[in-house]
Amino acid sequence: MAMKSGDTAHLYDGKTVRSAAPSRKKLAGTASSTGEIPKDAIPTVEIPTFIESLLGGPLVPKMKFLPADKMVQNLQLGCYGVLIALGILTYIVTPAVGTLWFAITGSMAAANILQLMVVVGAVGTGFWGTMSRDARFMLTSYVLFIVSVMRFASSKVSLSQDLFGFGDSQFMLTVLVVIYAVLLVMYFELSNGVLRFSMLDTSIRTREVYVMNVKKIIGKYHRSLVINPIIAGSLAMLVLSVNTILPAFVSLFSEQTALRMEESVELISVYGVALGTLFVFLIVGGLFALDLPTHLQSWRENKD
Amino acid sequence: MWSRKSAMLGSLAVAMYLLGLTLRNSQLVTIAVVIFVFLTWAALFGSHADVSASGRRAEEWSGEEGVSLSNVSAMRKLSSARIFEDGDVGVTLRMQNHSALGKILEVKDRVPEVMRIKDGANYILMELGPRRETFIEYTVECPLRGFYSLGPVAVRVQDPFGLFHKEKELHVYNDFLVFPKMEDLKETFVKSRVPKIFTGAVNIRQPGPGSEFYSLREYFEGDSFRSINWSAYARSGKLMVNERERDAVSDIILIVDSRAVSETGPVSRNALVYSTRAAASLAKYFLGRRDSVGLITYSDEVVSVDRDTGKKQLYVILTKLAGAMAKGNIPLQVVVNRILPHINKGSPIIVLSNLEDDPTIVSALRDFRARDFDVTVLSPSSLEFEFDAKRLDRTGYEVLKTERDVLISELRGLGVNIMDWEPDMLLSTALAGARGF
Repeated sequence: MAMKSGDTAHLYDGKTVRSAAPSRKKLAGTASSTGEIPKDAIPTVEIPTFIESLLGGPLVPKMKFLPADKMVQNLQLGCYGVLIALGILTYIVTPAVGTLWFAITGSMAAANILQLMVVVGAVGTGFWGTMSRDARFMLTSYVLFIVSVMRFASSKVSLSQDLFGFGDSQFMLTVLVVIYAVLLVMYFELSNGVLRFSMLDTSIRTREVYVMNVKKIIGKYHRSLVINPIIAGSLAMLVLSVNTILPAFVSLFSEQTALRMEESVELISVYGVALGTLFVFLIVGGLFALDLPTHLQSWRENKD
Repeated sequence: MWSRKSAMLGSLAVAMYLLGLTLRNSQLVTIAVVIFVFLTWAALFGSHADVSASGRRAEEWSGEEGVSLSNVSAMRKLSSARIFEDGDVGVTLRMQNHSALGKILEVKDRVPEVMRIKDGANYILMELGPRRETFIEYTVECPLRGFYSLGPVAVRVQDPFGLFHKEKELHVYNDFLVFPKMEDLKETFVKSRVPKIFTGAVNIRQPGPGSEFYSLREYFEGDSFRSINWSAYARSGKLMVNERERDAVSDIILIVDSRAVSETGPVSRNALVYSTRAAASLAKYFLGRRDSVGLITYSDEVVSVDRDTGKKQLYVILTKLAGAMAKGNIPLQVVVNRILPHINKGSPIIVLSNLEDDPTIVSALRDFRARDFDVTVLSPSSLEFEFDAKRLDRTGYEVLKTERDVLISELRGLGVNIMDWEPDMLLSTALAGARGF
């Protein structure tokens, strides 16, 4: 509704001035010298973007973090350490052969350079994301790490650099891959922890949250950071050692079959890993199906 | 319950596992296995908590409680169940853990949005030992009148990595009432001209047998010699007598406009807030003077409190004012028609309204004046509230202000004591302005 500046005659048209003042709620949206609707008169409706709805919230937290406290700084340092180790291991366990770059360029050198760039990019964005506590860079880093490991590989693990001769020992190769996987998950957790504890610290310092006995709560997290990777690594080792465990079990019944299984290419390949995973998680699934965690918890809660 | 983090990790692991099989890539499968183990371990032994790891706040409860929270209980105690606006309520929340396991709990005691935490915190992360209890103390500041309820208490436990959590709402509620703030009035200049005989009589603004001095006048035959003012006689040379105010009790009727339009403006500064505060202050003042006070609020219905005296009446009025909600659009004429047969002739009537969106105001107040009621209108100007809040531009403000001034002049012409009550003006000043003092 365009109106001349200062002309208020329209406000009186058809109105009896001596009656009560007209509703200003209505007029707030129309009466101005320029005829524009004041911004305050329009209710703001926030519609989340596609990414936001996918992640369940904004990618960039609206909460501004206060400078990192000691706990967050320690986590950041831990994260840097894990990131360096992960970068090196990623480069070692993901040779350029079988990568998308190799398929596109057909050149080993170019694929090597591109693969190295992806790994360096993952480490760099990870560093920056952890330092600036910015989830966007962290997410980019996660994606780059996952991209770097996506290769059309042969079933057997191969290394791009084998300075210590790990390639000769199947067990050492398995250990290397498990350490790599654990480090990757630890990196996910630590970088996430940097954000979580920054949020917690900011909430404490802005008095939004009060924490009773902070040391005990942080201690629990620290213990978990040590215990969980060990358990995850051990169980993963168990799963990946299916080519030795299964034959050992079968050897109780038939030595011959056990020997054949031990030498079977399938069992030491990715399918062997899958088979081991299936076994382990069938057992875990069974425990959950029996609602064992609840019974266990119930027993622990109610014991005298 | 799965958090966003665990759901994303789980999906990633499944995707990597399948992709690993497709690409025959054992690294991908290994990563998936490690993630699966992480998730399984957290799900199996995740009875302890961390804060906000899932990115979900405690209020987003969706009802999965679990065994670990079944032995947690809460009780709450308030320092007072009735306070005035801007007053504080001390809250003591008692959390008990009846189980044999220590727990790290995230506790949030839900507080109404309009309230501010003044001291302490209602959101606590704590370690609660086996069969132990703890007390959480905090103070809330209540800036706005109304009926409020504290609770429920939201409790959450999570695994250290925030992958899974269990939540529970403890349905512990405590209700309390926030009365409108009152201003101390020294003298309101509102007194009835019609006496009403009651025990515990007070002054009305007419001369008569009483104790308070009213004025001096010349001596007439029949006047008591005791009332002669000898000093005035000495000064003027004429016999002068002291007149005293007649002692009586007045009926005061307070009419509060609580229509939807009365809440125009910011939450803490609008006509309804000012009107309720003024009504509370006036009720306290008149009841303190042993007058009889009645209250009528009109919104989508007309609610009335019968005239009465005493402290109990003050609480009844304050409670009604605390619960006055801005809704509906009943015209003042309807209120006048309804109450006119029931009020004593000449009773002072005080109307608290922003005078907006009601074409019957002039005729309604004319009806009162025609029956010789002493009408005072205090009109909190919501124009000013909106202009101050920058919701109204200068031109719009000027136009509407002119319209409002015209209306006020018209009402003044009817003999109504009216005051355009600006936001920063004290009630006593506004009253004095209305009565022409």
